[in-house]
Amino acid sequence: MLQALRPKLRALLLVTLASATAFALAQRVITLEAWTIGPDEPAIHRAENLEAAVDLFNEALAAEGADYRVAIDTDFETVSWDDYRRRLLLAFAAGSAPDIIQSSHLDISTWSDAGYLLPLDEYLDQYDAFGDVVGSLWDFVTYKGAIYGIPNTPEARPFYYNTTLLGELGWSAAEIEELPGRIERGEFTWSDVIEVSKAAVEAGVIEPGHGYWHRPVNGPDFYHTYFAFGGRLQDAETGQLVFTQDAALGQFALYRDLIDEGVMLGELLGTSWDEWHRNWVDGRVLFNSAGTWSWAQWAVQYGPGWDFVWDNYFFALQPAAEPGGTPTTLSQPQAYMVWSGTDHADLAVRLLSFVLTPELDVRAMESGHLPTLATTRSLPAFQENEFLSQVVYMLDYTTSQPVHEGFGRYADIFFRSISAVQGGQLTPEEAVEITADELRRALGDQVIIE
Amino acid sequence: MTPASASQPTAGALARVVRAGAALRVPALFLLPAALVVALFFVTPAVVTLYLSMTDLSARTLSQPGFVGLANYEYVLTSRWSPMILANTVRYVGLTLLFNVGMGLLLAIAISFVPERIGNGVRLLWLLPRITSPVVYVVVWQAIMARSPFGLVSELTGTSQNWINAFPWHAVIFANGLIGASFGMLIFTAAIRSIPTDLFHASAVDGATTWQTVRRIVLPLLRWPIMFVTAYQTLSLLASFEYILLLTNGGPGFYTTEVWSLWAYKEAFQSYVGNVEFGLGAAMAAFLVVTGIVASLIYLRVFRFNELLVTPKIEVN
Repeated sequence: MLQALRPKLRALLLVTLASATAFALAQRVITLEAWTIGPDEPAIHRAENLEAAVDLFNEALAAEGADYRVAIDTDFETVSWDDYRRRLLLAFAAGSAPDIIQSSHLDISTWSDAGYLLPLDEYLDQYDAFGDVVGSLWDFVTYKGAIYGIPNTPEARPFYYNTTLLGELGWSAAEIEELPGRIERGEFTWSDVIEVSKAAVEAGVIEPGHGYWHRPVNGPDFYHTYFAFGGRLQDAETGQLVFTQDAALGQFALYRDLIDEGVMLGELLGTSWDEWHRNWVDGRVLFNSAGTWSWAQWAVQYGPGWDFVWDNYFFALQPAAEPGGTPTTLSQPQAYMVWSGTDHADLAVRLLSFVLTPELDVRAMESGHLPTLATTRSLPAFQENEFLSQVVYMLDYTTSQPVHEGFGRYADIFFRSISAVQGGQLTPEEAVEITADELRRALGDQVIIE
Repeated sequence: MTPASASQPTAGALARVVRAGAALRVPALFLLPAALVVALFFVTPAVVTLYLSMTDLSARTLSQPGFVGLANYEYVLTSRWSPMILANTVRYVGLTLLFNVGMGLLLAIAISFVPERIGNGVRLLWLLPRITSPVVYVVVWQAIMARSPFGLVSELTGTSQNWINAFPWHAVIFANGLIGASFGMLIFTAAIRSIPTDLFHASAVDGATTWQTVRRIVLPLLRWPIMFVTAYQTLSLLASFEYILLLTNGGPGFYTTEVWSLWAYKEAFQSYVGNVEFGLGAAMAAFLVVTGIVASLIYLRVFRFNELLVTPKIEVN
């Protein structure tokens, strides 16, 4: 009896084993890991879009009849860029970095030189989504001839003004409304910023030192002003960094004038961000330079809502240095990068192609950022966004910081000189001379002093 | 001299060495744990720091650092800012030390001459900043010192300014000193309480005033704790920068309150675009190690450390 059953049992066992194997194969899940960072909580879409892209990816895999699925572990940081970069560096060195890293496009130089990033050129033609990225954004992620990142959430950095205070100063509604146009045409320059601020102080509309505030710590914003004075950061032909002394002198002298004329605080650098934002939202400051994401911060984080910002503030390009000059802004897009040590490079890049779908890309608006894809910018959801649809023209005037191995040093030296001028420790002329000397000492042939 | 007699002194010397070795075995055994700790937590990091300081180790070269000899030291020494930052460091360590030790001593003496319950209460209050997280402590300072209408001092004085930026050195020294003084206070209070009461009674019988008691009895007997607190705090202050980082970040303006350790930290761990320079930071840290050793040797001389270690001529059981 048992003898007779043996072949059947064997067959049953075989079928069971085959089914189990097929089931196991069908369920094979490959988990990717991604670390992301945002300036604040609204930028959490940088992580959530990866999670949503996994669903789209798995749908595609199912349609293809693939025998595996993809999952993702995401980590979203909002606290400190320094800590985030340190954590990543340790993970790179330990060989346990995440498959996908989102960070500033500027990080590409250091990390690719160290061999931590995968060049993506050979993958880009494989997926149509990459072809929809706004063309100029690829320049931000190209280093030494190779592409090391997928651009993400670009922004502009507007010059904001308090419309209520200008009204108190006697500006008509039409004059206030015309200001962005006047700035764009180069009719309202930095000299006018000083004059209007002085008038506001004299009229008692604002306290001394509250005419114009730039950011209170080191950062990209100082370069849009440097560009406005004709500065260059990188030589297009040689790739070397550039320090334009005349432009720096113009910029440093502007800061000195702003302080000497009593329209900017001499101790502005060192103010906490919190205090900086609160002074702005409390209507104590007439003009400032900030980012597109700041609009959302003032509405939601510091102010009582969107009506409040629309009722009290408006935005324009950063003014030109001279009448008839070109106004500026600056973008520092983020990039999704792929770790060179990953076992799943193909999957990581393909996952990123799913992040670049207009439905996910449009979420950039939630944090005051601009979409990455050309298609997204034509979506009703974007065009109906009153703020972003009105700042997108600024990208025509945008500038950027160079992805260069020596730029970290450059930026530290440059900022130190700005601090010295504003602190009254150096004259603008001395600061330019010292900056040039320091740049030569720190960077040697990597920098051109012109 | 026979061969046997010639070997006599050698054997005797050997025996003496063996006896001496045996005698040293027990003390060596007792010293071993401390020696291991010192080797592991001081000598090894110091050696590693010295080695790293001669490499170009950075975020970019983390996997393959190159040997650059003394180039990092040259870079630091030829920097036009080194003298300024060195002067800031001397100012910071000197003034904070003076505040820490002086205030600690004053508090300890004051506490020792009031009823114990009140003294303990004051000690507890003074310890609060020490047990508060540095970030929270500095946030409180910033809130007090901010411009109107956010800052308490601005509101009270009617002068709206960022008081930390207006008086950065006062803020740095006072914020550090409030915490540092509690350390001296604890040590000095314990030392004062361990002084035999007979001495105080004797001085009272002799008609000594409180000041004379402090000057002639308390202070001479506190020489050892004062030396310890001074040396310890000097080394701590040389290496500490967290309160400066949080309060002023070396500013306002241009290196106004930047001290050597903060400078090293920034070079080694902070960068605008992530390329931190560990090798350069290590070279800067090496200067601090040498400075700390030199300062310790000077303190041992000034406080006549050898005399403090002399065996007492009489032993009291």
